[in-house]
Amino acid sequence: MGFGRYVSARVLWAAVVSLIIVTVTFLLLSAAPNPAVRRAATQAALQGGDPAEAAERVRELRGLDEPLYVRYMDFLRNVYTLDWGWSVSTSMPVTEAVTNALYYTAQYSIPWTILTIILGPLVGVYSAANMYSWKDHAATGFAFFGYAIPNFFFGIILLLIFGVWLEWIPVIYKPEVPVFSVQNAIQLTLPVFVLVTGSIGAVMRVSRNESAEFQNADFMKTAKAKGVSPLRAYAYHVMRPTLVPLSTTLVGQLLALFLGASLLVEVVFGIPGLGRLTYNALIQQDTNLVLGTTLFFTFVAVIGNLIEDLVFTVLDPRISYDDR
Amino acid sequence: MATEKSERFDQVDWNDLSRSGRFDLSVNSLGMLLTTIPLALLGVYDWQFLGERTPTFEFIGLEQNLETLDFFFIFTLFLAFWYLVLPLYQNPRMTRYYWKEFRRNRPAVVSLGWLGVVFVGGIVGPLILNAPQQDLLIAYQPPVFTSVADTTPATCVGEVMNGRCYGTWQHPLGTTGGGKDVFTMIVYGMTISMQIGFITTTIVATIGITFGTLSAYSGGWVDEIMMRFVDIILSFPTFLMFLLILYIYGAGLGMFIVVFSLFAWGGTARYIRSKSLSISEEEFIKASRISGASTYQVIRGHVVPNAASSIITQLTLLIPGFLLAEAQLAFLGVGDSTVPSWGQLIATGRSDLSFAPWIVLAPGIVLFLTILAFNFLGDALLDALNPEAEAENG
Repeated sequence: MGFGRYVSARVLWAAVVSLIIVTVTFLLLSAAPNPAVRRAATQAALQGGDPAEAAERVRELRGLDEPLYVRYMDFLRNVYTLDWGWSVSTSMPVTEAVTNALYYTAQYSIPWTILTIILGPLVGVYSAANMYSWKDHAATGFAFFGYAIPNFFFGIILLLIFGVWLEWIPVIYKPEVPVFSVQNAIQLTLPVFVLVTGSIGAVMRVSRNESAEFQNADFMKTAKAKGVSPLRAYAYHVMRPTLVPLSTTLVGQLLALFLGASLLVEVVFGIPGLGRLTYNALIQQDTNLVLGTTLFFTFVAVIGNLIEDLVFTVLDPRISYDDR
Repeated sequence: MATEKSERFDQVDWNDLSRSGRFDLSVNSLGMLLTTIPLALLGVYDWQFLGERTPTFEFIGLEQNLETLDFFFIFTLFLAFWYLVLPLYQNPRMTRYYWKEFRRNRPAVVSLGWLGVVFVGGIVGPLILNAPQQDLLIAYQPPVFTSVADTTPATCVGEVMNGRCYGTWQHPLGTTGGGKDVFTMIVYGMTISMQIGFITTTIVATIGITFGTLSAYSGGWVDEIMMRFVDIILSFPTFLMFLLILYIYGAGLGMFIVVFSLFAWGGTARYIRSKSLSISEEEFIKASRISGASTYQVIRGHVVPNAASSIITQLTLLIPGFLLAEAQLAFLGVGDSTVPSWGQLIATGRSDLSFAPWIVLAPGIVLFLTILAFNFLGDALLDALNPEAEAENG
């Protein structure tokens, strides 16, 4: 199988996965009683009307009385044409609510991702170069610490120390601050720090263990014997081969954190981003918005996995396409 | 892990080994059966004959009640005892070797000690300590050795000096805003964490091993479809899907365990499959096949034991993820609020953080240490059980 065919097969597969996830979501939704119908029935009963009749009317209004496959096709069409409905709790279309929230999520996600990608491998290779020294032990300790401490707990503690006791940073996030300003940088420091500590550990560990292998490789000995400066030797001969296996874990790690932890971090720090939007939608029973945000996160996960696989094959041409 | 394995070749009792009747049970299986049957009977009795609110052990005058989850938990404990602890006792030579390798990693030994404390605390604790009671009079007691301004607690249990209330050994980790003892709540949380750990690993291992071997031995397009299915399972955003399920149906701790373990076995299945494929090429498998071993015997006797070390490592590293997910859900306030987990305690204390930080700090640190211990343990097990991996980790 050639590269072109592999890419198209992989893209097709991503589409199939997204379709399956959307289908599961639809089945979950259609198997459960609709909160809107229940609300209407309760309201009718409270006002002395006939609850069954009111429920029937809402079902008709929302097209819930149609056969399952018609609703399924409608659902699919709406999901893939980005017609995600109206969000009651924010009183705007779901897509608009998601885009607005994405603006705030991006403000901390981009610095966090960049820092992890740059710092993680650097520290990892550095600690491999000084293996079993106190620097290596310190880096390893930090990696395990960041990996193990629950992000939301760490966030609360830092907020307590620096926000409440020392009063260095504002406790309440101000969304109206301009993006590129000192104020914004200060209020985003803690969330970014918490997320970087959480994600950098795994990256460091992987790059440390992978680069240890190249440390004493023949080409390194040759480079040293030729008098190549250590910096150049490490940059060209250790860092580069390390990045290949690293790229497989990196995207997965970042995605897992993005999906799970960013939600918590946003709730802790009060950032009105995607995670908080999901949370509010859950609390306020806004079905369309819950669906919209979960689908958005799901698509990000599917596309992330796709990119990871493609990058991996581009970086390492030895991988045969048939094995996948 | 065959049980009656002699240490030396000339001591092998061949009559014993050739015993291959289908219904001959090893000591382990016999013990498992003997302990599971009373448990199952008790479960059926509890489910069929007792009212919703009647404690299970009323017939012998105990107030202790068992929930469905507790039955599963006890079952997994039996499983772990008969198939994990007992084999270690039966093979003292291998146990000594593992322990020698394991002991070299000092953080891992400490971790094992800590997990032992959590395990024993989680099982024995609720039997000794009474469930924490609401008592507003003793709200916000500080932990022992610390003090707070005496305006914070309603009444101070310890002594008051210079306008400060000092903590006592009655409440070693202080009390919450509802006057519940934090230490007792943490001990009760240990039970929940152990339940999550044991039940999820059992489900993950069962599904993963079955699915992986089935896939490897079916081959062809069945294998292809099964592995594609694993791909989907692996790329499924479990946390979000659980939020969705929670939103639509509402979910308790049992549902949490089921959903999270149903989406976590992908890695195990993949590993078992590749292990079975590579091992079926080995000479000793061919030899045992020629001697008439069935596919089941090959899987049970060779594939699973050979993959066991990696699976145990993998499972050890999965558990902290589950604990974290539970704590996150509890913190968001969408978890099972009837379950006294650590995350629930963190969520309770969050609003009182600025003047009573111990309510958040104590369970948070315990959670952190437990996750850390599982990670260290997984790392050490990788080295101890699988010497091949050591070369890579250099």
